[in-house]
Amino acid sequence: MKNKTLKLILAVLPLLLFSSTIWGQAAEGTGSNPYFYSGLLSNGMLFLVGAVFVAALIALYNLLNIMVKVQQIRIYQEQGMEAYMEEAKKPQQSFFQRLYKRMTNVVPVEKEKDIMFDHEYDGIRELDNVLPPWWVAMFYITIAFGVVYYTYYHFTGAGPSSAEEYKMEMEQAEKAVQAYLATQSNQVDETNVELLTDEQSLAAGKAIFEGKGTCFTCHGMQGEGGIGPNLTDPYWIHGGGIKDLFKTIKYGVPEKGMISWKDQLKPSEMHQVASYILSLQGTNPPNPKEPQGELYQQVENAPAPPADSTATGAESKEADAIGMNKE
Amino acid sequence: MAQVERFSYDNAIVRKFAYATIIFGVVGILVGLIAALQLVFPTLNLGIPYTTFGRIRPLHTNAAIFAFVGNGIFMGVYYSLQRLLKTRMFSKGLSEFHFWGWQAIILAAAITLPLGITSAKEYAELEWPIDLAIAAVWVAFGINMFGTILKRREQHLYVAIWFYIATWVTVTVLHIGNNLELPVHLWKSYPVFAGVQDALIQWWYGHNAVAFFLTTPYLGLMYYYLPKAANRPVYSYKLSIIHFWALIFIYIWAGPHHLLYTSLPDWAQSLGTVFSVMLIAPSWGGMLNGLLTLRGAWDRVRQDPILKFMVVAVTAYGMSTFEGPMLSIKSVNAISHYTDWTIGHVHIGTLGWNGFLTFGILYWLIPRLFNTKLHSLKLANAHFWIGTLGILFYAIPLYWAGWTQSLMWKQFTPDGFLQYGNFLETVTQIIPMYGLRALGGTLYVAGYFVMVYNLIKTIQAGSFIGDEAAEAPPASTWAAHHGKEHWHRWIERRPVQMLIAATIAILIGGMVEIFPMAMIDDQVPRIESVTPYTPLELEGRDIYIREGCLGCHSQMVRPFRSETERYGEYSKSGEFIYDRPFLWGSKRTGPDLHRVGGKYPHSWHYNHMYEPQSTSPGSIMPPYPWLLRDELNTSNTAAKIRALQTLGTPYPEGYDQIAVEDLQKQAKIVADNLRKDGIDDDKLEEKEIIAVIAYLQRLGTDIKPKPQAGN
Repeated sequence: MKNKTLKLILAVLPLLLFSSTIWGQAAEGTGSNPYFYSGLLSNGMLFLVGAVFVAALIALYNLLNIMVKVQQIRIYQEQGMEAYMEEAKKPQQSFFQRLYKRMTNVVPVEKEKDIMFDHEYDGIRELDNVLPPWWVAMFYITIAFGVVYYTYYHFTGAGPSSAEEYKMEMEQAEKAVQAYLATQSNQVDETNVELLTDEQSLAAGKAIFEGKGTCFTCHGMQGEGGIGPNLTDPYWIHGGGIKDLFKTIKYGVPEKGMISWKDQLKPSEMHQVASYILSLQGTNPPNPKEPQGELYQQVENAPAPPADSTATGAESKEADAIGMNKE
Repeated sequence: MAQVERFSYDNAIVRKFAYATIIFGVVGILVGLIAALQLVFPTLNLGIPYTTFGRIRPLHTNAAIFAFVGNGIFMGVYYSLQRLLKTRMFSKGLSEFHFWGWQAIILAAAITLPLGITSAKEYAELEWPIDLAIAAVWVAFGINMFGTILKRREQHLYVAIWFYIATWVTVTVLHIGNNLELPVHLWKSYPVFAGVQDALIQWWYGHNAVAFFLTTPYLGLMYYYLPKAANRPVYSYKLSIIHFWALIFIYIWAGPHHLLYTSLPDWAQSLGTVFSVMLIAPSWGGMLNGLLTLRGAWDRVRQDPILKFMVVAVTAYGMSTFEGPMLSIKSVNAISHYTDWTIGHVHIGTLGWNGFLTFGILYWLIPRLFNTKLHSLKLANAHFWIGTLGILFYAIPLYWAGWTQSLMWKQFTPDGFLQYGNFLETVTQIIPMYGLRALGGTLYVAGYFVMVYNLIKTIQAGSFIGDEAAEAPPASTWAAHHGKEHWHRWIERRPVQMLIAATIAILIGGMVEIFPMAMIDDQVPRIESVTPYTPLELEGRDIYIREGCLGCHSQMVRPFRSETERYGEYSKSGEFIYDRPFLWGSKRTGPDLHRVGGKYPHSWHYNHMYEPQSTSPGSIMPPYPWLLRDELNTSNTAAKIRALQTLGTPYPEGYDQIAVEDLQKQAKIVADNLRKDGIDDDKLEEKEIIAVIAYLQRLGTDIKPKPQAGN
């Protein structure tokens, strides 16, 4: 008995240690590791803490048991070895055996005749076993959970609503992203972007053009145009400089179907793909779409034109009427 | 003076339902297998509209639930009811009407669903004329059952019959409640409730279709066939009582757990969560009473395939009824919802609980009906192992797929971008798991065929007993009861009171949730800029419904950073007030579409529908060339507008007269826009695709900030 208990304590101790290290890591993790799914994390931690708590309770219970046993032995020794031996001969049941018996409280199969009801239905008999105590306890616990949960979220107002949860999530993420960006330097944007010409960047741009950017679905695999305009001729609707392209990719031209990519491509990726597109100038691919927009003249240091300045009145009206932009 | 009356049991009706069960089991599972294979090989619909995933997915669910399990319930009930009550079925005519009526409904479903005739409500897709037929057949079943109960020779009702009664009354209430709809013409109707209310009622129904069609009747069957097969007494009468009443009372509340983090008000979502958690014990009560009834018979479980099937069935029931409440906890649901986790979960229930219990019953019942022994125990054992493997191969890859995809949806890079910004990346990642799932389904089907062969051989070897002789003392010998007995015995002698008590128990939860939602305007805050659909958009929406788009695309952006980054502003309840029916969906095999409006050019959608892979390489969406080919039917547009006006959609008076004209005007604008991008076709403006594009471009744009351009 004593040995078993000691083993149990030994088993529980490392668990305690282990969980506390995880706890430490996790606390750190939520701060600096914003992309780790935090809801899952906190739930997992809650569960771990609960498990550790229960383990500690069991350990405590067993310690108490040992102390009682020690006391008993002393009493037996004082009253003589005979009484002690008598007691020791009685079959001992472990804590778990007793717990199991108490929690199931079942009449053994051999004695089931005593609890069999008189009635039968097409030969089916019924026993009068009591409700399994563990099952009853579980039922009460879930009911208690229900009451506490509903009170916490709806009667006291302490728990956040779905909308509040969302707000908190966004604020936390914003902070984490800002903290991360502070550690990075040289963010590219439309005011400071410069044309890249090195092979590696252009290859990366090509991969984006044909891959995750899905640019080719509208502009053609070689930039020849399709749903969207031809990117290989010198005619541009929204300007043909690297800064213009960066801006068009970043913010899009939603009323014409060019979506904004700023939430899907990183600045560095937009930089690469814009540079790649400009490298296509004059490649004359097959099946080119007819030129659209104006012939672009390279002007150094000219301010990028505003995105909607080239949209004609007719086009805006059209976009208006089809319900894309109702009213 | 031992009086005994002689009579006979009607086995012919049981045999009919048994045959129907076996046949529709094959159909339901095979259609499911085809659907599963289409997710791996998208062209498997062979270019035919009637076999696209969107149309056969409801065919699969309806066939599995109402044809296979439905006939299984009736088979089990018609056999056990007569014997538990010591009487013959009340009316031969009603039994026949019930049988042939139910098969006619199944036939109607098998025709209308592939044709795209659907009300878009999951597990209640059938249109209003079939809904009426279902009601008529179901009432016939009810009269037949209660007639039998009233002329019984057994004074008390056994627990199985309590479950049958609760099933009957609850399905009646659910079926009527969820099919309150206004017909436009013979094959089209609009639901009385819109948007959030419609969603709440649908999932009050949908969840309880699981509860009262797949669960309570099967618990009733378990209480008869498991003790019969094991020849053991039921473990605890007290447990039967408590878990029965607790189960039917609590189950009905749990529907909103299908709508966690949607636009449903928080108070209703939380009710769904807490009642689902409270449901663990009542559900497990059934499992315990099943498994503990086998005490003293476990040595036989090793040899007897019937008991094996039943043990796995009850265990699967226990697993899904524990998993269900866990999935109803909001932080778990945030991960599981819209993914294959849910599909895995539901198939543990259907393949394991419903399938295996049905197989166990069939192996037990067919030899008895034909007065012979089962042809081969070996084959039955083989079926058991193949089927079990099938379930494992089905469920585990789907769990894996669900977790994988969900975590990919939620993954951010440190600089605040979605790691997998392209939705397709998260789809192509899990296609191998879809392949394994189809393998699991194939195994399950293979096992099923082993059973069919075994049963045919058994039937051939035996001789059918149509009228099985029986005898019992008449009701006049019943003893008067007073004094000491269990309090519940009182209601077991009174079927009518039992029916009333069960009705009250199942009405409370639904009323508490639905009445405030339907009656109090504040529950759905109005948004000024939300306006009714134009006639063209409305027609496009009805095509979206016809094609079953909602089988793979949700229209509900949840309030998570990972969703608002991917799709846009999260969905608000006020945006759906003109949505009849609501189309929030429950699975994202493709991306959410609620904010797709204005995201792509018209021509993108045109090309995408013609050949999804051209715009989205690797997509598993099937092509929809018929949308580009077929002309839009506008002959019902005016009637649709009038029906919606009746339901409260504020179209101006007399608008139905000019609706088609308006529709054509808008179609011209969409077509002209397409032509500008080089797409042309003779009668472009008359094609269905134009309406679909108009609808998709409208989606979710009512609350988008408007550009300041033009007039």
